[in-house]
Amino acid sequence: MSRKSAFKVGLLILGAYILAALSSSVITPYSPTALVGRPLDGPSDTHLLGTNDLGQDIFSRLLYGTRATLIIGLLGALLSVSVSTLVGTVSAYYGGGVDEVITRSVDVLMTLPSFPLLLVLTIFFAPSIFVISGLMGVLGGMQGIRIIRSQVLSLVEANFVYGAKAIGASDLRIMTRHILPNVLPLATVKFVFAAQRYMLMGVGLGFLGLGDPSVVDWGQMISRAYYNGGFALGLWWWLIPPGIAVTLLSVALALLGYGLEEEIYPRLKRSVAI
Amino acid sequence: MKAEYLMRRVLYSLLAFMISVSLTFVLLHLMPGDYLHSILPYLAEKNPDAARMFREQFGLNRSISEQYLLYMVNIIQGNWGYSFLYGLPVLAVIEEKLRWTLVILFPSTVLSIFIGMAVGAYSGWINGSKTDLSVLNFMIFVGAVPSYWWAMLLILIFGFHMNLFPLGGYASIDALDVGVRISDVLRHAALPITALTISSVPGTYYLMRNSTLQTTGEEYVLTARSKGLREMEILRHHALKNAMLPMVTVIALELAQMIMGSVFVETIFSWPGLGLLTFEALRVRDLPLLQGIFLMDTLMVILANIVADLSYPFIDPRVKVGESV
Repeated sequence: MSRKSAFKVGLLILGAYILAALSSSVITPYSPTALVGRPLDGPSDTHLLGTNDLGQDIFSRLLYGTRATLIIGLLGALLSVSVSTLVGTVSAYYGGGVDEVITRSVDVLMTLPSFPLLLVLTIFFAPSIFVISGLMGVLGGMQGIRIIRSQVLSLVEANFVYGAKAIGASDLRIMTRHILPNVLPLATVKFVFAAQRYMLMGVGLGFLGLGDPSVVDWGQMISRAYYNGGFALGLWWWLIPPGIAVTLLSVALALLGYGLEEEIYPRLKRSVAI
Repeated sequence: MKAEYLMRRVLYSLLAFMISVSLTFVLLHLMPGDYLHSILPYLAEKNPDAARMFREQFGLNRSISEQYLLYMVNIIQGNWGYSFLYGLPVLAVIEEKLRWTLVILFPSTVLSIFIGMAVGAYSGWINGSKTDLSVLNFMIFVGAVPSYWWAMLLILIFGFHMNLFPLGGYASIDALDVGVRISDVLRHAALPITALTISSVPGTYYLMRNSTLQTTGEEYVLTARSKGLREMEILRHHALKNAMLPMVTVIALELAQMIMGSVFVETIFSWPGLGLLTFEALRVRDLPLLQGIFLMDTLMVILANIVADLSYPFIDPRVKVGESV
């Protein structure tokens, strides 16, 4: 599969997921939380993917679960990329003391293991999908600050920035109109990869029992099926669908990310005649 | 220069450690619900005396600042407090669990670095070819599948259906009679190690592939090629060593990633390590134990960073410590 088609496939799958999330309340036959059938029924005409141990329709839960996962992934990624772009740009643009303080703090903060910290903070702020994505956004922004900063450092020396300064453009204008458009491609790639990571983490938190209890999420579905005998009894329709759903979304985002990355850094495409 | 750099490095690490201590202390103490309420909800009502004694025993009756100061002093002295859950010194609990974590963490780190670098170097060297692209796509796929899903699939296929490996735990039930045997533990560790390795190989692979890709255009490669060396020889003797350099810092990052992976993998395999301990401590809100685990995680990452920094000049004699690491 070439990079271009990988990108397209990724985009297509992501689009399908977004569509599923938006329309889940229309196309699902049952409410995701209602007890609508016999517990542990296999797939049938009335229940496409069967029912779980409570008699809830798994197909409906699967579709509703798309929402929480997408929100955590996309919102978390948006926050983290915004934080790292903002801080990284300011740090590199102003340089001097500001830069020194920011780089040193990032150096120190990057040593903290972010995942264990995320676990504690999630418990502390009570698990809700918005809290989780907010925390991921702030904690995950550190590495991005470094990357954006080094990109901006080279831009600050560019002629068009000198030119803009010479004609008296304000710092804010230079940063938003001249520098930002140049880091945007890089930020977009970071956004896609961050969305993939956070989405997986969100489902992972649900699996560990730290998910938002008020929403249907795939992590909770997997953990429930796993610990209540989903596979020991061979009830594949209980355990497999949420797992496949996470995996497929993750693969789609990865394809999208790598496809974009190659568009932005043509050097990755460079091929040597052997 | 060297001494100054080392000093700065140590100072940073110390600072990071202090911040991590303070941060976890503040957060954990502001966390909703203490141990007394989550484990013995009626004790405080029924028997105020017992509740008071409990608080005194664990120092929960003192002011926050006093507790913090005490905690700092104790940490430095190696007394990391007592776990509510186990009633044992935190450091002792962590030490025991850390050993079990290392049993799966060490082999999988080594394996994933080795496999990732080997495949990544090869793939980067023949970049653009059909083999490279299919390996790349395969790795992207492997990396995109979450670690907990790999772990479950492994149990499902090799443990449950093929019955080759145990479903979880670290020793068979007959360990009660004959004691824990190494071969038995290894049989139990096989699947967790595989799961951890699978989920961290793609990261190493991708970085190594990029790193190798950069060397393919270098002039020493051209020179070697014009001398008529075989491709694989150039890769092994010239390109590989240079491509490996940036990978050293990756090892530290890898470890931080693995700590995360081990929480899921250990929970799924019921492997009695730090990951499972984290899960348990979170469930019962065991504050001192959680603090200890985070401190240990921070220490491990700090240590890995320092080792990576210090080993750099050995791997590349051109780089002196302190210069453009």
